[in-house]
This record gives sequence, structure tokens and C-alpha cells, in this order.
Amino acid sequence: MQPPEPRSRPGTASTHMDSASRQLTAALNSDQKHETALLEVEHLESGYDETRVLWDISLEVHRGELVALVGANGAGKSTLLATLSGLLPAWIGHVRFAGYDITHRRAEEIVRLGLSHVPQGRRLFSALTVEENLLLGAYTRRAGSQQAIKQELEEVYTLLPKLRERRRQLAGSLSGGEQQMCAIGRGLMSHPELLLIDELSLGLAPQVVDDLLSALDAIHREKGLSLLLVEQDVQIALERADRAYVIENGHIVLEGTGSALLQNERVRTAYLGA
Amino acid sequence: MLIVQVIVNWLLLGSLYAAVALGFSLVWGIMNIVNLAHGAFILVGAYAAYWAFTQLHIDPFLGLPLTMLLLFCLGWIVQYVAINRVIRAPFLMTFLLTFGLDLLIADVVQLLFTSDRRSINTAYSGFGLTLGTLHIPFDRLLAALIAVLLTAALSLFLQRTRTGNAILATGMDRDAARLMGIRIDRIYALTFGLGAALAGAAGAMLVELYPFDPSQGGVFTLRAFVIVVLGGLGTPWGALAGGLVFGLAETVVPLLPGIGPGYDDAIAFALMVLVLIIRPRGILGKAFYA
Ligand SMILES: Nc1ncnc2c1ncn2[C@@H]1O[C@H](COP(=O)(O)OP(=O)(O)O)[C@@H](O)[C@H]1O
Ligand SMILES: [Mg+2]
Repeated sequence: MQPPEPRSRPGTASTHMDSASRQLTAALNSDQKHETALLEVEHLESGYDETRVLWDISLEVHRGELVALVGANGAGKSTLLATLSGLLPAWIGHVRFAGYDITHRRAEEIVRLGLSHVPQGRRLFSALTVEENLLLGAYTRRAGSQQAIKQELEEVYTLLPKLRERRRQLAGSLSGGEQQMCAIGRGLMSHPELLLIDELSLGLAPQVVDDLLSALDAIHREKGLSLLLVEQDVQIALERADRAYVIENGHIVLEGTGSALLQNERVRTAYLGA
Repeated sequence: MLIVQVIVNWLLLGSLYAAVALGFSLVWGIMNIVNLAHGAFILVGAYAAYWAFTQLHIDPFLGLPLTMLLLFCLGWIVQYVAINRVIRAPFLMTFLLTFGLDLLIADVVQLLFTSDRRSINTAYSGFGLTLGTLHIPFDRLLAALIAVLLTAALSLFLQRTRTGNAILATGMDRDAARLMGIRIDRIYALTFGLGAALAGAAGAMLVELYPFDPSQGGVFTLRAFVIVVLGGLGTPWGALAGGLVFGLAETVVPLLPGIGPGYDDAIAFALMVLVLIIRPRGILGKAFYA
């Protein structure tokens, strides 16, 4: 299928050069047996109608990594995730995932490739039951994979046992923490390679956040699931992340390992109140 | 005995009205489109059934699946060609577009069938169950049963099947549905097709019961609107509840002293205004659907 033409924006002149040099690097990398990143974002810009929100965003998530994306309210974190998962069109730049150029693919296709997005505010189908929500998460699985879907459901229930108890309840009737569990479980049902989670801890009690994080930790370790975690609680995020990016006003201003950023002066004054 | 007859008439009429509003409710609830061409789809269903009966001698009830299939295809095409373009546009745009469609379809029907009143007389027209003074016409009974059956079938389809759940999910949160991998353009085409098919079923049953002419589409759009407002969006059962309330008004009001028959449209309007004042969300209405 032919991807739609990118919307013309000023400043696109360099992209052809880029793609040529990228192919070269890709070839070199494969020669040297370097793993290319699972998710590669290069010079990405996007926004809403005429308002640009993201400027020249470049980042990577490698297989098996937990990467955090932190930044103040309105910095553009949710906009970035929406552009990655195809809900918003990219204006300029490239997004590659698992070897596919997904820059101009639709959300419906991207999730099939193994990139699953748990949006901010859970966005559950509130008048459907927990189990119906989870099964919609497996919508990409074709008919005939009933067995695989059942097994996936079992795994999600094992990982998040609260969901099994609540399986027949309407998703809208759950507590905030349970809703977040349901949203994450739903995101896992498509059997993703990379899970994007937007504001995991927002509005949840610390105990609930701990439970969720250790559940994620378990699949992260055991299944090698890669994670891109958006968090307003910078401390929580940086403690757990292999690497992290700091985003301000739509620009990536800092990147580094989680522990390095925890020590960073700028991070400490701006986000940790130190 | 009169009171029993009134109750029976009410139940038969009310159930039939569920069929009139079912497709309208589905399209409104899932796609957030008030489809002003709904009555035109009913019209096409009625004339398709009329044509099949007079030309091919197919009984309107037996031919129901065919009528529904025809209208499903019509609805699917209309959605893909026209509605898709305004699905995210302001309400007024969808109003204009579906209103234009309504005019277009009604004109085509009139061109093909002239503006003469048409009716169908089957071999069993006028027959029914008689218990003492109580009379239940077969065709009305059958139409009411089919209407209830369609309501139940739609409800089961939406609640119990993967595709049905995808339709509900798309209605509740379009972007979240896309994140599940649901192709919402297909879901919308399917939903609009189903809405048209249900309108077609209503039309085929109506033409069996009442004389029909091409000017009546708008009347049924209005009724569907009032019924959905009465019953609330959110579930097919809302259409049945709204249909029964609406049917009650149309059955009882003409019996009131000093009023008499002939005020059906006035009743519809008055009810709508009343409900909008008292319960803006209808009787069974849930908030999520719209
Ligand atoms: N639907 C929208 N339409 C227009 N502007 C939006 C929309 N959503 C967010 N924005 C704007 O984009 C900017 C980034 O928002 P967002 O990505 O939600 O930030 P974050 O997730 O980091 O809090 C903000 O200035 C916000 O006002
Ligand atoms: Mg956000």
C-alpha cells in the first residue's frame, strides 16, 4: 500500500539526503552485527492543525529496554506518543519500528506490527466489561486464533489477578487503579513488542503504582517486552528506566541513563524540587 | 373488552415503531449522525417490497431478508461515497448532507413509482385472531413480532460478537478503537449499512399495513427522531421503549374527548418537546453512546 504523501511543510529539503545516509548506516550496522533499534525516531515534527507541538524529535528504544519520557505538563509527551502510534499524522521526519517505516501508517496498521499504545486517561470502553475490553485488545488477532487469544487472556489475568476478579464488571465501574490495570492488560492483548504507556501513575495511590510497576517489570524481564513510559512522576520514572529523555516545549533537551539524569543538576532543580 | 383491544393495538403499534427507529438509533449512537435520510431508506424498503410483491409475487414478510440486503448495500455505498466525508465535520454538515440525500432518494422513488399511493393486499390481509370482540390482525402481529425479534437480534449482535463489540467500542471512543486495530471506516460503513437494512425492514412491513406514497419519508424520520429521544440512545432496547411510549400516545390521544384522529404529527412534535424539557437524555438513555 502506498503511504499518503506527507503534508508539505517548510524545511523538508534535507530528508532525501538523510534517507540515503541512513541506508548506508543501516548496511554498516548489519555488517557489524549491531542490533538496530526497535523504535527509531528521527527529526520528527507534528502537532494539531496549524499548531506545531513537536520540534525535531529524535529518540530510540532498543529491544528489551525500558525508556522513560519525562517533562512538564503540556511539553508534548502525549502528542509524541499519538504520533508514534499513528493517531496523529507526522508532519516531517521518520519513524521506524521493527524494520518497518511506519511514519505514515495508520494506527490500525501500526498496532498489528507490534506497537501498542496505552493512552493517557485509560480510554477504556466504559460500558463494556473488563473481559470485553481485554478481548478488543486482541482484535488484531485473526479469527482462528481463539486458542492463542485465550492463552493471552490467561497470561494477562495471571499478571494482573485483580482483572480476573473483575472480569464481568463494566470497565467504567472500576477504581482508577483497576482501570489502569485494565488499560495495560488491553494493551498487552495484542502481544506487542513495544508498549507505550502514557501517564501510568497519574491520579493513582502509591501502593497501586508499585503493583502496576512490578507487574510491568515482570513482563519486561521475562518476556523481553520493550517499554516507553511517559511519567509526570520523574523520580519513579528515572529510578526504573534504562534510559530517559527529557522533553520541554516540544524539544528533547536531555537524554541519558536513568541514574545519570537523576544526578543531573537541571533535572534535579526543574523536576525533582531539589 | 375495549380496553384490552386498546392495549393490544398499542403493543402492536409500539413494537412496529421500534423497527422504525432501530436503525436511526444505531447510526446516531455509534456515528453521532442524525440521519435525515432515514425516512428515505424506509421509503426505499417500502417500494422495494411493493415492487417485489407486484412484479415477482414475493410476500413482503418472506422477502424481508432480500429487502434488508438491498438496503444494506445502499447504506454501505452511501456511507463510503458520501457520509465518510463529513463524519468529523460539524453537525450542520451532516444535517445538510443527509437532508440532501433524503430529497434525492425521495425524488428518485417518485420518478420510478409516481406519487400515487400504493398498498399491498396479500391473501391474508384482513385476517386475524378473533377472541370475542378482540381482534388481532395477522399482519400486524407478525410485524410486531419481527420488530421485537430485530431488536433482540441487534442487541445480541452488538453485545455478543467480536464485530458487534468493535461497533460499540468505535461508538464509545473512536481513537481508542483505532488503537485496538479496528478499521473504523469499515465499522462506520457496516453500521450505516445495518441502519439502512433495519429501515428497509420497517418500510417493507409498513407498506404491508398502510398505504404508502413517496412523500412520507420525512414523517418517518421525525417519528424515528422522537422515538429515539424518548427511549434514549445507547441500546436497541431504547428504541423499543421509545416506540412503546410513542405508540401509547398515538393510541390514546385520539381516544380523548374532543381530539379524535388525524393529529399524529402534532403528537410527535408535542412529545418531542415534552421529553426534551423533562428528560433530555430519554427514558433508557445512557450517556456513553452519543
Ligand atoms: N487536541 C489538541 N488540539 C490542539 N492542541 C492540543 C491538543 N492536545 C494537546 N494540545 C496542545 O499540545 C501541547 C502538548 O500537549 P500534550 O502532548 O498533551 O502534552 P503532555 O502530554 O506533555 O502534557 C499543549 O500545548 C496542548 O495545549
Ligand atoms: Mg499528556
